[in-house]
Amino acid sequence: MSVWEYLYNGFLVALQWQNLIYAFVGVLIGTAVGVLPGIGPMSGVALLIPVTSTLTAGSSAEEAAASAIILLAGVYYGAMYGGSTTSILLNTPGESSSVVTTLDGYQMARQGRAGAALSIAAIGSFVAGIVSLVALVFLAEPLSNLALKFGPAEYFSLMVLGLCAVSGLAGHSMTKALIMTVFGLLLGTIGVDNVSGVARFTFDSPVLYQGLEFLTIAVGLFALGEVFKAILEKEKNEGTIAKVGKIYPSKQDLKQSAAPIARGSLLGFFIGVLPGAGATLASFFSYMMEKRISRHPEKFGKGAIEGVAAPESANNAASGGAMIPMLTLGIPGSGTTAILMGALIMYNVQPGPLLFDEHPQVAWGLIASMFIGNLMLLILNMPLVKIFAKIIDTPSKYLLPIIIAISFFGVYAVQVNTFDLFLLIVCGLMGYLLAKNDFPLAPLVLGLVLGPMIENNMRRALTATGGDWSIFVTHPISLLFLVIAACWILIPLILKWRGKKVLVNEEG
Amino acid sequence: MSRSFDRIASILFILVGVFFIVESRKLSSTAYGSGVGPDLFPMGLGILLILLSIRLIFETFRYPKEKQEGKTLDIKRFAIILFSALLYALLMETLGYVLTTFLFLVVAFQTMERGKWWLSIILAAAFSVGVYYLYVNILKGTLPSFPF
Repeated sequence: MSVWEYLYNGFLVALQWQNLIYAFVGVLIGTAVGVLPGIGPMSGVALLIPVTSTLTAGSSAEEAAASAIILLAGVYYGAMYGGSTTSILLNTPGESSSVVTTLDGYQMARQGRAGAALSIAAIGSFVAGIVSLVALVFLAEPLSNLALKFGPAEYFSLMVLGLCAVSGLAGHSMTKALIMTVFGLLLGTIGVDNVSGVARFTFDSPVLYQGLEFLTIAVGLFALGEVFKAILEKEKNEGTIAKVGKIYPSKQDLKQSAAPIARGSLLGFFIGVLPGAGATLASFFSYMMEKRISRHPEKFGKGAIEGVAAPESANNAASGGAMIPMLTLGIPGSGTTAILMGALIMYNVQPGPLLFDEHPQVAWGLIASMFIGNLMLLILNMPLVKIFAKIIDTPSKYLLPIIIAISFFGVYAVQVNTFDLFLLIVCGLMGYLLAKNDFPLAPLVLGLVLGPMIENNMRRALTATGGDWSIFVTHPISLLFLVIAACWILIPLILKWRGKKVLVNEEG
Repeated sequence: MSRSFDRIASILFILVGVFFIVESRKLSSTAYGSGVGPDLFPMGLGILLILLSIRLIFETFRYPKEKQEGKTLDIKRFAIILFSALLYALLMETLGYVLTTFLFLVVAFQTMERGKWWLSIILAAAFSVGVYYLYVNILKGTLPSFPF
């Protein structure tokens, strides 16, 4: 079958009425998550995994997986849209990837052009979403076919590369990021070993045989951690919300932003595909690029519409690009895609090169639904942006306890035991303390998701050679991956050592 | 960056590493049909974790002088909510989902901000009963029911 036939079948899945509803609910909640300061895309997605798994309980495994991932991905890219709203209206980024948008977006709002800024952000996000999807459609097959030629040694090295890339760019201290990665990998070894059937670190307690549930840890670390932070540190939205004003941008605005949107989309997409470099870096780079090539760089920071269009396109394109390594290689490049991958694994759908052969319904359904979801977001965001701006006012005194209650419900509904509820609270405390002290959480989740797979591939490779470790460096592709992995760790270290400032990616 | 937190965390991570090494020595080192046993991977990771933590301890000596943080933490509010969350988890299976959720939410709402009792009670009741009804009666899931 050709790409077009697969895509057509994907649209058949995505256009089923229940999946349309899931996509709609996903992007709607995603936008709200993006607008609410304090809840990032990672906690939004984590919080909704159990909710979707209960909603899809009645349908067959394949359909349930397709519907769930459609909703969860909707939350992910919806949050990218919503994040710009608070940046522009309140000068407070809803999530880290729209930090740069505050520079010019808020200035535009102060000049009474908030509506134009918001709609350009929405249009830019839409164009970028479509660009990255088209690239995804055409890259998916060749990449999967390439990955199918990989043996266990290559997979092992590729996953090591993924972990190194994320650790190398996460947070301010690489040591801390690596500690979190290794800690995540270690937590992943708890439970019955897949290869030998030996129970490891379980102390004969049956709740541990299955291993620590990924879902509980993700919800605890991200959602509960953020709630605890908000309770302890009494976050308040200060400042007044700017008036939205006229929504539709003028012809002049559109003309000025067309080129930045195109450049931002392409740049963002390529940065998104790279593991470790996510939406935050993409928006940052594209802003700097626009400023550099602009004929009026002095306008930036004073309400230049290019300064809104480019980074908003870039962060959306990056979130689409980040899906590629996750879907085709099974290597999530960021915290949020790691959580999405964990959700797919919960449904027994293993992302990776075989995904497109074994579960075309899930893979192509997701891709098609992203086209539809982006369109929904554009339609939702243009006229309804005034309503979304009201969400900012949601009183946190009601929101925070309800988030705790939702995470309790979600974890209990999936796990049906109280052990996981206590684990949830412990993870929430850990998430707060670690994040507060610059220990990045995304590498931990990534380690937890990839851990069992890394170990399996490592042992399969070593079994084939009878325990000879040289297999990882004698296979050329595997060697290449390991060299790139080493570079990813070493180059920032060398740069830092020579006194250069290294950009880091503070997001999921 | 907090120097003392990072030191304590490093020591805790070293202990975690030691724990995993000690425990994985109890596992068999070979497995049927496999060249490497289930002990190798966790043991290697444990060693790596210890090395990284030691490096972090050394890094803490080079931290710039600590600044006093201006933020005051609302410990009391947090402690009440944490304690009620623990009770919530502990009692959920004995008292049932609706009752514990209702009580937890009322307490948490009131801890966040005193006053408006009626709104707190209505919201908490709507959430707990609504979720229970939706999940158990419509989606046919299981949640601990009432104690009576």
